Amino acid sequence: MALALEHFRRVYGSFTAVEDLTFAVAPGEIVGLIGPNGAGKTTTLRALAGILRPTSGSVQIDGHDLTADPIEAKRRLAFMPDEPHLFEYLTVEEHLRLTGRLYQVPDIDRRGATLLSELELTGKEKSLPGELSRGMRQKVVIACGLVRNATTLLFDEPLTGLDPLGIRRMRETIVSRGRGGAAILLSSHLLHLVEEICTRVIIMDRGRKVADGTFEELAYRADLAIAGSSLEQIFLKVTGRDQPDPTP
Amino acid sequence: MIAASIYILVCSALNRLRVRLRRLREPRYLVGAIAGAAYVYFAFFARLRSQRSASVRRRGAPIPLQPTGLLASAGPALAGLGLMLGAAAAWLVPFNSGLLEFSEAETQFLFPAPVSRRGLILHRLIRSQLGMLFTSAVVAVASPSLGGYLRLRVALGVWLLLCTVRVYFTGVTLARARLLTADTRARRVAWLPLAIVSTALLVVGTVLFNEFATVPLQNGQDLLQRFVAVTSRGAAWIVLAPFTAMARPLFASWPQPYLTSMVVSAAVLAACVTWVMLSDGAFQAATEAAADRKTQRQEAASASKYRTAARAWSLAPAGRAEIAFAWKAATQTLRSVDMRLVLRLCAMLAGLTVAGSILGRNNSLVAVAGGLATGAALLWVMLAPQAIRLDLRDDLEHLELLKTWPVRAEAVIRGELLWPVMLVTAVAWGLLAIGIVLSGASFPQFRFGTRLSVGCAGLILAPGLALAQLTIHNAAALFFPAWVPLGSQRSRGLDAMGQRLITLGGTWLTLIVMTLPAAVTAALVWFVLRYLIGAAAYVPAAAVAVVILVVEALVATELLGPVYERLDALAVERAE
Repeated sequence: MALALEHFRRVYGSFTAVEDLTFAVAPGEIVGLIGPNGAGKTTTLRALAGILRPTSGSVQIDGHDLTADPIEAKRRLAFMPDEPHLFEYLTVEEHLRLTGRLYQVPDIDRRGATLLSELELTGKEKSLPGELSRGMRQKVVIACGLVRNATTLLFDEPLTGLDPLGIRRMRETIVSRGRGGAAILLSSHLLHLVEEICTRVIIMDRGRKVADGTFEELAYRADLAIAGSSLEQIFLKVTGRDQPDPTP
Repeated sequence: MIAASIYILVCSALNRLRVRLRRLREPRYLVGAIAGAAYVYFAFFARLRSQRSASVRRRGAPIPLQPTGLLASAGPALAGLGLMLGAAAAWLVPFNSGLLEFSEAETQFLFPAPVSRRGLILHRLIRSQLGMLFTSAVVAVASPSLGGYLRLRVALGVWLLLCTVRVYFTGVTLARARLLTADTRARRVAWLPLAIVSTALLVVGTVLFNEFATVPLQNGQDLLQRFVAVTSRGAAWIVLAPFTAMARPLFASWPQPYLTSMVVSAAVLAACVTWVMLSDGAFQAATEAAADRKTQRQEAASASKYRTAARAWSLAPAGRAEIAFAWKAATQTLRSVDMRLVLRLCAMLAGLTVAGSILGRNNSLVAVAGGLATGAALLWVMLAPQAIRLDLRDDLEHLELLKTWPVRAEAVIRGELLWPVMLVTAVAWGLLAIGIVLSGASFPQFRFGTRLSVGCAGLILAPGLALAQLTIHNAAALFFPAWVPLGSQRSRGLDAMGQRLITLGGTWLTLIVMTLPAAVTAALVWFVLRYLIGAAAYVPAAAVAVVILVVEALVATELLGPVYERLDALAVERAE
């Protein structure tokens, strides 16, 4: 497995954000991680990226334990957060060069140019983040993630801030990376996106995994069959939000 | 609207207080708060108490509660004149009262709400009260040799004064927006206060000119006496009256004169408030202009902060991670300073140094310059590592990104230290070089060999001392990340003040411990070698010291590696 999470648990003070979460993502798989607000999706992604330490449990990237062997694990990982964190004093081009140096990416200039063209950032190479729109900054973060051949890609709300064309391009990019053999874990509230590009879905609620499988598997699961066949209906059923509002 | 404004004010203040009190449940904040409270107590109240008791002992009588003599009689008029000049200047220079600047939340909640423009101005005035009350309290507490009740009276007087000034500046902003309006009535209302202030300025200026241009001044006392005389009668007294009324509570004695002056001062405030409320027609344009200025300021600050043209060097595609961190910080530095200005300054200093060395050792100016350069180098090496935060202290803001990089923690820490060490060293070397060149004039009692040897020892020691201090500062940031203000944020409150004091004390203590082995070994080396090589012994002693400091710093970075690995992004706290 390219990505494996076992009995992952994360606690903030007295609050348990994620409890006993176990799943794996195989190469070529695009897995959608969905759930209501506060379900623990972002905590899970940030722990997978090495930003948060698990309270207990283990994270393996390509067989490398993220805690015991963080360098090798992180080398194979690319995390694209929903909020673009960039250095205000480095240009777009310099962000790519810095990424190339830290991840030891060969031929970084050519790869960078290709990616910038793919993400429609050509002409912005010399721009500082302060001169870019939010969507463009998001694209720079994505470019820094994709410029290296990471085997595992983590996307947290990848379409936030993108224009319609950017959304389309991003969808194509994610699918092509999946087809290219990367293991992709994608968190999003856009259920139609998840339904369209993901090969499997994990639904989280209140820090726990409440469903895991392909759409067909979920749709035909005995307790979900009555919900309907759309991901939205399944999501509402699984998270217990399909009941009518009791308040008049 | 007044009730809503008070509700917002009270809720915001209570919630802020609640957050701060809740923070005290964490030991680090509690310890910080205790340290901060102790500092405030000893710095202000204990000092004031000791001053007061000393004064009572000395005189055997209660301390006076009001200023006496010439100052008391001249004070209101002098302050009034200053206020009048400020009031006139406000028409020429667009002062920003802040009362027309609304926060994002206020814009979103209050502007679409059915609230009148006057209501919005009143809201901003009410919201600004906490800040003005705090400033008044600080002024009263910080004023030396005042009794308890007099402090309260001064605080009230300052508060009224600040309110009036703020409202007046807002009125000027609103009036300026309508000076050229097509509406004749509005234009007259806008021009009227300008005409009044201009007339007042003309009257007072003429009176003072006539008084002081004809008869020459004897001394300071004569100046005050004559100033009081001309401003306490006739036209000058009349036009200065509103301005002196604002300042009079600060000088009036208790009870009747003070109470009367407060009533008159409040009347001036009421007149200003009425004027602003009548000028609300220009509110929309003025708030939009204020919002534009705010945005422009932010954009200008953001745009001018970094310059794309400057670059450190081109980062090679492969190599040690530490160099990449140094390159990043160097790029940040070069993009945030004006390199042309720096180069001009360097050239000027080099030219002056050469000229100084040509002028020779007998020139006192050269001696002072050399001494200053040496002192500045010492101060720079000891203080710059605290101030230059181009290391982890700055990069904690980007911790989430840093943590995803496949770089050994030890390399991250060393990389973060590299550029600041280089920067501190470069400046220290420059200053020391000036000191060495001019040392003949500054320290003529020492022989050339000794001066050169000590100077070279300083050059060798500078990077070691900078590295030691920066290591300590970064270690503190790793152990207490929540105490490190991120970016331009500055944490506030007693606990934050206490934390800063504790960090400063801890840093200096650790520095002493860290430099002790190097200092002792260097002293031994110097003691042994001075018999063999004389004054030159300072150089090998410094070299040994710097080697020890570097080894200590490298060991420290290795030990700090696991701390960085364990550091959770959530431990870095965003300021309020």
